[in-house]
Amino acid sequence: MSPQDTQDRPDTRDGQVKGGGPAGSPGTANLWRWLVRRLLLSVVVVLGSATAAFVALYLLPGDPVQTMLGPTGQTPALVAEVRHETGFDHPVYVRYGLFMGRLLRGDLGQSYQLHQSVKSLIFDQLGSTVELAVTGFVLALVVATVLAVTTAGRRPLLRGLASTLELVLASLPGFWIGVLLLTFFSFRWQLFPAVGGSGVNGLVLPSVTLALTLLGVFAQVMREGMERALSEPFVLSSRARGASETTVRVRHALRHAMVPMVTLSGWSVGALLSGAVIIETIFSRPGLGRVLVSAVNSRDLPVISGVVVVSAVAFSAVNLLTDVLYRVVDPRLKEAQA
Amino acid sequence: MLGSRGGGSKQSGMVIRTVAAGLVCLTAAACTSGGSKAGGDSGTPTAGGDLKFATSVEPECLDPEVGARDVDALIDRNIFDSLVEQAKGGTFKPWLATSWTVSPDQRTYTFTLRPGVLFHDGTPLDAAAVKATLDHAVDPKARSYYAASLISAYSGATVVNATTIAIHLSRPSRPFLQALSTPYLGIQSPKSIRENGTSLCQKPVGSGPFVFDNWAKGTSVKLSRNPKYAWGPPTAAHTGPARLNSLTFSFVSEDSVRLGALTSGQADVISEVPPHDVTVVRKVDQLLTAPEPGAVYTLLLNTRYGPLTDERVRKAFQRSVDFGKLVDSVYAGQYKRSWSVLSPATPDYDKATANSWPYDPALAGSLLDQAGWTGRDAQGYRTKDGKRLTLRWPYSATMQRDQRVVFGQGIQAEAKKVGIDVQYASEDPGKLGADLNSGKNLDIFAMSFVRADPDILHFYFGSDQTVAKGGGNMFQLSDASLDGWFGTEIATSSPAAATTAVAAAQQYINQHALALPTYASSYLLGAAHKVHGITFDPTAYPLFYDVWLGK
Repeated sequence: MSPQDTQDRPDTRDGQVKGGGPAGSPGTANLWRWLVRRLLLSVVVVLGSATAAFVALYLLPGDPVQTMLGPTGQTPALVAEVRHETGFDHPVYVRYGLFMGRLLRGDLGQSYQLHQSVKSLIFDQLGSTVELAVTGFVLALVVATVLAVTTAGRRPLLRGLASTLELVLASLPGFWIGVLLLTFFSFRWQLFPAVGGSGVNGLVLPSVTLALTLLGVFAQVMREGMERALSEPFVLSSRARGASETTVRVRHALRHAMVPMVTLSGWSVGALLSGAVIIETIFSRPGLGRVLVSAVNSRDLPVISGVVVVSAVAFSAVNLLTDVLYRVVDPRLKEAQA
Repeated sequence: MLGSRGGGSKQSGMVIRTVAAGLVCLTAAACTSGGSKAGGDSGTPTAGGDLKFATSVEPECLDPEVGARDVDALIDRNIFDSLVEQAKGGTFKPWLATSWTVSPDQRTYTFTLRPGVLFHDGTPLDAAAVKATLDHAVDPKARSYYAASLISAYSGATVVNATTIAIHLSRPSRPFLQALSTPYLGIQSPKSIRENGTSLCQKPVGSGPFVFDNWAKGTSVKLSRNPKYAWGPPTAAHTGPARLNSLTFSFVSEDSVRLGALTSGQADVISEVPPHDVTVVRKVDQLLTAPEPGAVYTLLLNTRYGPLTDERVRKAFQRSVDFGKLVDSVYAGQYKRSWSVLSPATPDYDKATANSWPYDPALAGSLLDQAGWTGRDAQGYRTKDGKRLTLRWPYSATMQRDQRVVFGQGIQAEAKKVGIDVQYASEDPGKLGADLNSGKNLDIFAMSFVRADPDILHFYFGSDQTVAKGGGNMFQLSDASLDGWFGTEIATSSPAAATTAVAAAQQYINQHALALPTYASSYLLGAAHKVHGITFDPTAYPLFYDVWLGK
């Protein structure tokens, strides 16, 4: 990040590109080409993950049909029936072809254990996980922003205290935080439900738990970004023009601190999904995490690959979004591409 | 079976409800009425109220003939009625069937059905409905993992008239009535079987005291009172509709969260109180317990390949572990050490097995010496011809519960003292399945199976009960003496002959150390003081038909 004196007036730069001319001008064409390339890449990622899931499940030891049935009660007739019904009587390349063919048509197959369509199973549960992930993410982002803006470059005691707290949070397992919150806020003071939490009340503890697991990393990265920005010449020039401390921090430095945050947001999809697995279990919430855990336990292959595909789609979508966001937050990128 | 089903698919047993309630009172301070701090309302039952029950796992399928998990049956018992109810002393009481006769060759059971019974969808109960349910249970397309195995002798049914059905068996089967009494053979609405097809799992329609209301996947199953119910089981405390307005089962997999939900009043009843938390529950709420029938958590030994083919090595292993002390310390005195593969709560449990194979490390040592395992290696393990005495015991980590891993490590530590290297380690379920199929890569496999019929012993050790034949004989044991007793047990019409045969089999298994029984577990239920009238069925499932809520 080389210091540029225009960096504190990004609006001007923005204006340049936005007003870069009607559709068909070099800037816009480049943008579209870039977007199409990124979209194609996303499709490759999703198909690649589906293939990886298929290969991983294929490589697992043991006969999948017998594993599915459990060790007792496997009459040859039942094994044959289930093998036929699940398509395991075909050679592996046929199964792969069928699997990918169905996937391209948007069909995720039928759950072996739950006797219901994987698509309806996943989409019934997806909303709950998205709700948890989005709330947790926004909460973490807001608190991290407040922490970073107020403590960056401040007195060592205040800064050190906030930083220590963040480090402790970042190293605590989500499982432990969740049980601790439940013990006090649900079992002792009964402010929030521990079981069957539907609606806003039921969302508070799970999303706070998720936010706390992310908060440490978010705040650390943001503070560092803030501090780097605060030490740059444009801050000095802005202060020299008489801008107040709040204006300097919120209007100028924060925007710089947001750049690494965008990268982190892409990364956090993975963290949010794996956090959801644990949090949904502790808080007995419906959601993809719980579906995945029980599917892995019972070797419900169509459900496992379904969740992998949906997660890959979510991951690609968010990363595409972050790439777009970069261009909004950091106008230098647009200039480089245009 | 492993895991959820390995925890033991349950079948019913022979302890009738009143007796089960008596057993509850034997465990001090656990009494529902006496000794509890319930308000002064424990006298008159009142109707109404919604009961919240937090249980650890979610059902897979509520079609009783398809679902094989404990929790499937626990919930289905409220939705479905059975033809007969199992009662004390191995007898059966009329329920949906008012009477029945058995043909002299014991291959035809003719049932007369109770008139006026309606399924929740308004369809009347008749002989065709019973036939539809049984045919559905054995239909390969229905993919019944468990119910079909319970009635493997079923060869078809004849509708004699609307209220009479003749059920035909391909061979005599003493456990047949017992199988019919379980929730796994609860009678379904034939209209529902016909119309709901593959979605029967999500839309159960029976004739029971509660009607299926909804299933919020990942969260809860809700049932509501069947106002028309007038055909309760004969041993219930009242007649007519259930007292509760509704019954909600929520799925809370974390033990500590279930416990917290109970103590903070967010759940009225919880399942599976961890043994170490029993004192907490007793302090704040009530603890209700019921000993579980069936095969206790048993170490099955590989008698076909490896060092355990030598009976002296098996007996040395048997005597090397102080099971009494180990069970007490791991399960806080809540579970009892078991001397027989059959739990004491199972009909025909043999009392004479008690103390028949006490802890004796000295004997274990001399047996190993006799078997030629006289060398010692650097770690102190015994060797023969330079080979260490190693017993491989793989387990599937996702399917362990009840601190069984700690318990297994305890056994490992005890065996080490006499020089046996027990390799107790987690293994992928697929790899474990492959090992079991070959039988060559493992020496020990452990499981329990809740079932209130001594035929579970046959299921574990009969040569006609290998895994490929639909049974649970994991190491393909083939023993003529055992097969003889099982033959008597399954085909006899004399209860006394069955008892003698089952007792002989239990003693024989211990004498030849074919398997090591470890502990007999109890169903540990936590309930708020306002909950009254919980009893347990012969399989140690809590029953909710009589339950009512006080203040």
